[in-house]
Amino acid sequence: MEHFVGIINYIIFFAVTAGTYGILALGLNIQWGNTGLFNIGIAGFYALGAYTSALISGLPPSAWEGRTFGGFQLPFIFGLLGAAIVCGVVALLIGMPTLRLRADYLAIATIGIAETIRLVLNNESWLTNGVWGFQQIPSPLYKTIHGASSAYLHSHPNLPIWIHDLIAKSYDWFYLALVLVVLFILYLIMERLVHSPWGRVIRAIREDEDATAMLGKNTFSFKIQALILGAMIMGIGGSMYAHYARFISPISFKPLYGTFIIWVMLILGGSGNNKGAILGSFVVWGIWAGTDFLTKYLPFSATQSASLRVILIAVSLEVILLWRPQGLLPPKKQLFTLK
Amino acid sequence: MSLLTVDRVTSGYGDMEVLHDVSIEIAAQEIVTIIGPNGAGKSTLMKTIFGLLKPTAGKIRFIDHEITSHSPDQIVRLGMAYVPQVENVFPSLTVRENLEMGAFIRTDDFGDRIKEIFALFPILQKREKQRVGKMSGGERQMVAMGRALMLNPQLILLDEPSAALAPNLAQVIFERIVAVNETGVAILIVEQNAKESLGLSDRGYVLAGGCNRFSDTGENLLANEEIGQLYLGG
Amino acid sequence: MTTLARIPQLLVYGIISGSILSLGGIGVSLTYSILGFSNFAHGDFMALGAYIALGLFTLFTGLGIPNTRFGPLSFGFGFTVAFILAIALTAIAVILIDRLLFRRLRRSGPIILMMSSIGVALGLRNILQFFWSPQPHYYTQMIQRAVSLPALGIRIKPDEVFIIATAIVLVVLVHSFMRYTKMGKAMRAVADNATLAQVTGINTDRVIIWTWVIAAGLAATAGILSGIENKFITPELGWQMLLSIFAGVVLGGIGNPYGAILGGMVIGISEEVSTAFISTGYKPAVAFVIMIIMLLVKPTGLLGRKN
Repeated sequence: MEHFVGIINYIIFFAVTAGTYGILALGLNIQWGNTGLFNIGIAGFYALGAYTSALISGLPPSAWEGRTFGGFQLPFIFGLLGAAIVCGVVALLIGMPTLRLRADYLAIATIGIAETIRLVLNNESWLTNGVWGFQQIPSPLYKTIHGASSAYLHSHPNLPIWIHDLIAKSYDWFYLALVLVVLFILYLIMERLVHSPWGRVIRAIREDEDATAMLGKNTFSFKIQALILGAMIMGIGGSMYAHYARFISPISFKPLYGTFIIWVMLILGGSGNNKGAILGSFVVWGIWAGTDFLTKYLPFSATQSASLRVILIAVSLEVILLWRPQGLLPPKKQLFTLK
Repeated sequence: MSLLTVDRVTSGYGDMEVLHDVSIEIAAQEIVTIIGPNGAGKSTLMKTIFGLLKPTAGKIRFIDHEITSHSPDQIVRLGMAYVPQVENVFPSLTVRENLEMGAFIRTDDFGDRIKEIFALFPILQKREKQRVGKMSGGERQMVAMGRALMLNPQLILLDEPSAALAPNLAQVIFERIVAVNETGVAILIVEQNAKESLGLSDRGYVLAGGCNRFSDTGENLLANEEIGQLYLGG
Repeated sequence: MTTLARIPQLLVYGIISGSILSLGGIGVSLTYSILGFSNFAHGDFMALGAYIALGLFTLFTGLGIPNTRFGPLSFGFGFTVAFILAIALTAIAVILIDRLLFRRLRRSGPIILMMSSIGVALGLRNILQFFWSPQPHYYTQMIQRAVSLPALGIRIKPDEVFIIATAIVLVVLVHSFMRYTKMGKAMRAVADNATLAQVTGINTDRVIIWTWVIAAGLAATAGILSGIENKFITPELGWQMLLSIFAGVVLGGIGNPYGAILGGMVIGISEEVSTAFISTGYKPAVAFVIMIIMLLVKPTGLLGRKN
């Protein structure tokens, strides 16, 4: 029974993380899957969203922290929205100079931007507490729910251990539900958008930008909109991560976890397909988490096991690119028609 | 004995069929011109012969070989050369280097061959060390042809050699084409400037809508009023 | 020391760093112009070379191959042989990666190739990390004394002179190769127009192999040289330099190897000199800002495209 609870706890953790990645993948799907914007700087928006949310909703700096700014303790919803808005604004500023560039220049530029954001997060301790990280990020409704479940457990001391443990984790159940709700809402919105006239234009841009421009569409404007929208979604993902992990530092958003893995998720799941984005997140995170278990049985050190798992993910990417580049769920077939 | 036989070839790009059942023939040392309106499939025919496009039906024979599904580098080794209409030189290389690239698969000393090419195109010798990208259209066309001749081909395909050239320069190019032919090379030309080209051709074909329409000697085609009206601009 | 007085020394550091960035950039430029895509694994080719050299050197030391130092340099015969062999082995490894992977993806277009190269980058880095761990490994424990040149207001180590000299020699060699040899001309021809090259009868497959040999060889050299400069290597060394290398390539004109050299030097010097004015933590951002400015003002780069 204890095993059972342990497994349930792990599944909650797994699902929250996979769900968060699903949100990020939806954002990338708008940018790359639908519009063809080669954004290798996802980690930048991810981190920006997380830190913004932390600053808005978090606690003021304590005496031993390097921070001197922020921690406004506003409700979680403000943190979430703030993350989205800040990411949107930054995406606008970044997009203006770079979206006219070719795909490979855009790729290099987005790496540079993510790197610059990382450097700022590392160096500007007054704002972010630098490498020591942003601590004690509050989780929404934590006191209410945890308080209620603790009170319940307190007044029912004779529950079987496994029920006790499950209820003790009530907050995590709540957060999982929250993530899934946010994910679902975003999914619905993205599906509406993708099937709308706006969606048709951005897909036409991905297929053939010049032809779309010749039809009189301001392709630059559409691309910027897609960039901003995708970035806002990534910001939301960052916020959801920050309030679950309760501690973030620049290392949490290293390119491997913050960018590369999301690309693999989208490509495996199916670029251009919102369901594919979500499916890919769960599958790839499943591989990642699953191999975590397996490598415990191998005679390698922790860092070696981590390296092996990354190699596996990299190999999976190459295999998909070689044999099924469209991913598990193919995009909606769009003949080049724009009314 | 035919040097090149194109036998009822159908070809195109992806799902789009451009050539339907086209047949042409060239004998050794002949000059043959293919004329026709825009979009008739003339360039497509050249690309298909040279292996840049795969025909969906029909056969192509060159000398003794069936080359229908050969790739360009195989065809080049058999003695055919191709000069595309645009982007037919290496702009950042010099004249001499372009010619050297033409001789890439040769393992012997081809210094004499370069001299022969310079004899055919004296201007190239003058500009030997110049970057081709900086040269005029007519000179570039000569570099392109010179490059194609480096392997002593038996047949050269020229895709609209006088396109984008002023009339007097086009004249020079056509003179050079005759000179090249006189060294024993068969030439297949695709041309918009049909009058000039037919004038120096042994035979010609008229292609329209991807199909054969007429074929006759160059002289006869020129003299034919109907063709003159339809395809030669009156 | 006043800010101005530090500049000559920073220039020297910049030239050293720029030499390494240039060697990396030439490979990136060649790969771009001949193979048609930006290779994000290039930094990790550098790391691969550095670690193969380390592995061979450790092996040679174990086998008792002598490594008495050449004069004031920090290494001797054993390391030199390891250096040269590592270059060759890296080139072979990269050609294998091309055969297995990039060649099959060529028809899928540059974006898929770029994505694949990111996967290769991560895979290579983690293979190195698996065998050698993320901890730094030292080429030498020797603390080299810098030579003082008071007239110029600088100090420079013998190893650093070696690095700059090696870069110059290699640049001259590559230039001569591209200019005067048949294969070099064929590479330039393919960079101009790959289809025409095929039509002409140029063996594009062989051209591609040679491109990788030169790109990977220079990358390995750059990686080993950076190990000599820093005295240690880590698996991340290539990825850390990649942004600066790309900035240099873009600055000079993507696809133009001479542009890569110029751009690499400018970026190297700018990064080092910038530390006199802003925090060292922001060094990579300097490269990035310069690159963005270039892309906005003159996207074709300082030296423009080759044709």
